Amino acid sequence: MKDIIQIKNISFNYPDQERLFTNFSMNIHEGEWTAIIGQNGSGKSTLARLIDGLIVLKSGQIVVDGLTVNDENIFDIRNKIGMVFQNPEDQFVGATVEDDVAFGLENRQIPREKMQQIVENSLKQVGMWDFRDRIPANLSGGQKQRVAIAGIIALSPKIIILDEATSMLDPRGRQEILKLVDKIKHDNDLTVISITHDIDEAAGADQVIVVNKGKVVEADQPDKIFGDINKLTSIGLSAPFTSELLSALRKRGVDSPSQYLNDQRLITWIKQLISSK
Amino acid sequence: MDQTINFKQVTHTYQAGTPFAQNALSQVSVTIAGGSFTAIIGHTGSGKSTLVQHINALLKPTAGEIKVSGRTITPATTNKNLKQLRKHVGMVFQFPEKQLFEETVIKDIMFGPKNYGVSDEEARLDAKQAMGLVGLDGSLQDKSPFDLSGGQMRRVAIAGVLAMKPEILILDEPTAGLDPRGHKEIMDLAEKLHQQQGMTIILVTHQMDDVVDYASDVIVMDQGKVVKHGEPKDIFSDPEWVYDMHLDLPSAAEFACRLITAGVPLKTIPLTIDKLADAIVGVIQGGQSHE
Repeated sequence: MKDIIQIKNISFNYPDQERLFTNFSMNIHEGEWTAIIGQNGSGKSTLARLIDGLIVLKSGQIVVDGLTVNDENIFDIRNKIGMVFQNPEDQFVGATVEDDVAFGLENRQIPREKMQQIVENSLKQVGMWDFRDRIPANLSGGQKQRVAIAGIIALSPKIIILDEATSMLDPRGRQEILKLVDKIKHDNDLTVISITHDIDEAAGADQVIVVNKGKVVEADQPDKIFGDINKLTSIGLSAPFTSELLSALRKRGVDSPSQYLNDQRLITWIKQLISSK
Repeated sequence: MDQTINFKQVTHTYQAGTPFAQNALSQVSVTIAGGSFTAIIGHTGSGKSTLVQHINALLKPTAGEIKVSGRTITPATTNKNLKQLRKHVGMVFQFPEKQLFEETVIKDIMFGPKNYGVSDEEARLDAKQAMGLVGLDGSLQDKSPFDLSGGQMRRVAIAGVLAMKPEILILDEPTAGLDPRGHKEIMDLAEKLHQQQGMTIILVTHQMDDVVDYASDVIVMDQGKVVKHGEPKDIFSDPEWVYDMHLDLPSAAEFACRLITAGVPLKTIPLTIDKLADAIVGVIQGGQSHE
């Protein structure tokens, strides 16, 4: 599998603050959904900004789709990456939903007719075409995040980075946005990196990278990572619901598997347990 | 002082008298018991935040009245003489850390008490006490609040409200955007204030697990009306009704419903992981009987 992003031995700290990353390395596989999890202050968001060249490395190297992140390549790299932040309001510039989505295209001097097509197509993909004349500030949190995502897919990136993009939404809004990004990922062959502390969001990823104090604690499939509740709580995260239920059953003397089971597999396992009695 | 809050036929219309007039609350009558830990739930736009903003008269009713700590707020209430009420009812907004502005943590927390006219010295004492309550280390007091982590900044903001020594504390989605540890710290703080300080806590939230874990009473809002008021077990006993309200069930209850659909004969819908585990063990020991 091709690594679309390679992070090699990077070190970084903010001025007058402790070293955040020391000889930090990791890879993101092309076409996969990678979740980067860790508590507030673990360096997750800094990592996203380093990949996009929004902040500059002290040492080491980051390669995005074959290009090293540096002054020379920075604009080509930003064309490949779309970032969705926690609060979409912070990045709205257009007076209407439609204008906002067009903003990035205007910056790239796309001809007007083509621009109109792209804007329509992008807004339709996120289900916000009917809202094209509305003022972004008057939309709900989930709708705003959809508009922000439309603005990103309009620029046809190869990689989408969700930087705690669902943390301000209610549980239902969160599910809807994740489902939407998953669909867009499939329709457009994208790589998705989601930076999150929502363990249930990470459970749906292909690869999970656990970051704590600027180090990779673990990088593996969710199944391998989510069995160990103690390890997750020791770094300030919570365990997925299914792991907690298995642990509660174990405490009651039920012989429970120690590996992670998703909802469906846990339901099947409980049914088997009951019918075998 | 009596902490009971009484809403009587309260209607609130935004942009009243214009073509954009919109009823955010329609004839709401509800009593929030003094000393309770009351959760207010309801989908986005159901009127939760509008309701709580009436409790310290940030919003005034278009019709009806609210009684809180011996004061009556009516449509005719003016902004004069509301100081005592607002000192009595502390309000923590969503993302309260956005309101931090002072050079140091201690100055930021002192700002509230000083507004109420206490001396510098007294305000400093109140601020230090509030820092202790929210679990902020004293060594942070001369730091800039903007150098702190997200969870710490939020605790500074909450300390700024607690320094005014309110008896009723309103928390509007206090854990949004925090990681699981920060989330637990804030919720445990609310519980501590409720139990040790005897504060009435009013929590606006979308997190049903928090409702079950912390609240004694639940108010459900829909389209500007209170549609249910009871204990968590009363509210969540009817999953279909909960879904009709565009709300979620607590995680354990939701999983229990899926087990029942899959044919696992659970007799009740447990609200917590421990009760769900008990129920599953019960089914295993009782065999497959449906009685």
